[in-house]
Amino acid sequence: MLKDLTSEKLVRLNVDAKDWEEAIRKSADALLQNGKIKPSYIDAIIKTVKETGPYIVITKYVALPHARSEAGAIESAIGIATLKQPVIFGHKKNDPVKYLFCLSATDNDSHLNALTDLTELLERKDFYELLDYAKKPSEVIDYIKNL
Amino acid sequence: MQYKGLVACRAGVGSSLMLKIKLNQVIKEHDLPLKIEHGSLDAIAGFNGEVIITLSDVAKELVAKKLKQKIIGIDNIMNKTEIFDKLENFFDEETAKE
Repeated sequence: MLKDLTSEKLVRLNVDAKDWEEAIRKSADALLQNGKIKPSYIDAIIKTVKETGPYIVITKYVALPHARSEAGAIESAIGIATLKQPVIFGHKKNDPVKYLFCLSATDNDSHLNALTDLTELLERKDFYELLDYAKKPSEVIDYIKNL
Repeated sequence: MQYKGLVACRAGVGSSLMLKIKLNQVIKEHDLPLKIEHGSLDAIAGFNGEVIITLSDVAKELVAKKLKQKIIGIDNIMNKTEIFDKLENFFDEETAKE
């Protein structure tokens, strides 16, 4: 479940980022500070985007920064970050990005249920509204707990 | 005929997994003859199905490799119409071959 992989400590609201790279670094920082990933994992995400393109921008306004487990995932987790100002990733259909869900996965399947919850949330207008207006991480987490 | 598809991305743990979730919803809703496997790009070497489905940027990379499978690139994984239209297109091409 999504609520098992995220927590208030992993939510960062109204983050300042001047470009896509800073947006990824800041969204991943919550995972880094809480021991979910190693610094190398963040570098791997950036490298993949530079090599393959912004395919982590999975739908309009939403990026799912992640890399292979071997790149430095310590524990499965999902961070939630919103940007004060949306940034351009260079995706031909889904730019700009305002919401980032940084994913750390230690194997291929344990987080499947959490991602199923997330796909459901990304269909809900009120979830985006909540992300836009939430003042505290607890508001976001309370919403997710009540899914 | 029942077709086999592989959903893959670079890491195989994030975008492609969410894409798989949405694909399976579309397949179920329209009762499409497609069975989905899932993995990272490493899984392509051992895959013997007809179609590989991934995100658009990754699709570009795969097309350049000239694999035997049809490559489908999805721009917006939450857009079920896009997913359905691109799958339909694949089935039409397959039917035309017969």
